[in-house]
Amino acid sequence: MELIDIIKGRRAVRRFEDKPISIEDMKKILEAAIWAPSGSNIQPWEFILVMDKENIEKIKLVSPGLFGNPQALVVVCLNKERAKKGGKMGEEMARLDLGISAQNMMLMAYSLGIGSCPVVSFNKIALKELLNIPEHVDPVIILIFGYPKRWPRAPRRREFKEVVHVEEFGKHFE
Amino acid sequence: MLKSSESILNDPHFKLLSFLVTSARGCLDEPQIYGPLRLLDAAQRVIEIMKEEGKSTEEIEKLEEKIEECIDVLMYDEEEFVKLLDEISKDLARIIKG
Repeated sequence: MELIDIIKGRRAVRRFEDKPISIEDMKKILEAAIWAPSGSNIQPWEFILVMDKENIEKIKLVSPGLFGNPQALVVVCLNKERAKKGGKMGEEMARLDLGISAQNMMLMAYSLGIGSCPVVSFNKIALKELLNIPEHVDPVIILIFGYPKRWPRAPRRREFKEVVHVEEFGKHFE
Repeated sequence: MLKSSESILNDPHFKLLSFLVTSARGCLDEPQIYGPLRLLDAAQRVIEIMKEEGKSTEEIEKLEEKIEECIDVLMYDEEEFVKLLDEISKDLARIIKG
């Protein structure tokens, strides 16, 4: 599959088949995460893989944005101690790094026929308690994975002409 | 009788309780449109409980289908979401009228 097809084909999937994902595929997805670019190569991330059904159900209880029946979750966390190495910009850079690593995972998943969706509507305090996440680590995104019941239709995008500026702001492609 | 903490995790009322509390906290920081989304999600959870308890009707199950459609459409088309929400309100009124 061409990269552009993977980028354009990925969707936010929230309804999944009751079919497990192999640990090998989840490892491939996580491998893609750790090869994301990182400002000053700080790699401020920690990834918590959750595949146990009971644990997924417990996380769902404190995550209003997490519905459906995902087969696996990856909790993408920010290691604040590592982020400090980036100085005043450390946390901002770290959040960008986390976002890029999440995108790597979602694209890798799509290339394997696996649907995904980023979730940020969860109770951080409760999630930290549930997963024994230490004080200096903050969960930022939960990625949910599973085989889609159906691939959702593409959402509207702002026009290329509108959002791309050439040489200076406000000048667009003809 | 009080349930043990293990069995309460699978109790649909407890699941709804947990959803409502964490949603209340989340709604303070989340986009405004997530408020109606959480309420619709809660409504669907109530219907599921009604089904399990044998309190649902055919009309309510049709309402659930529309609620599900409404939730799905939210991320793609906010105008359509509002339209469907109005339809659901009308359907609900018809159920109330009897």
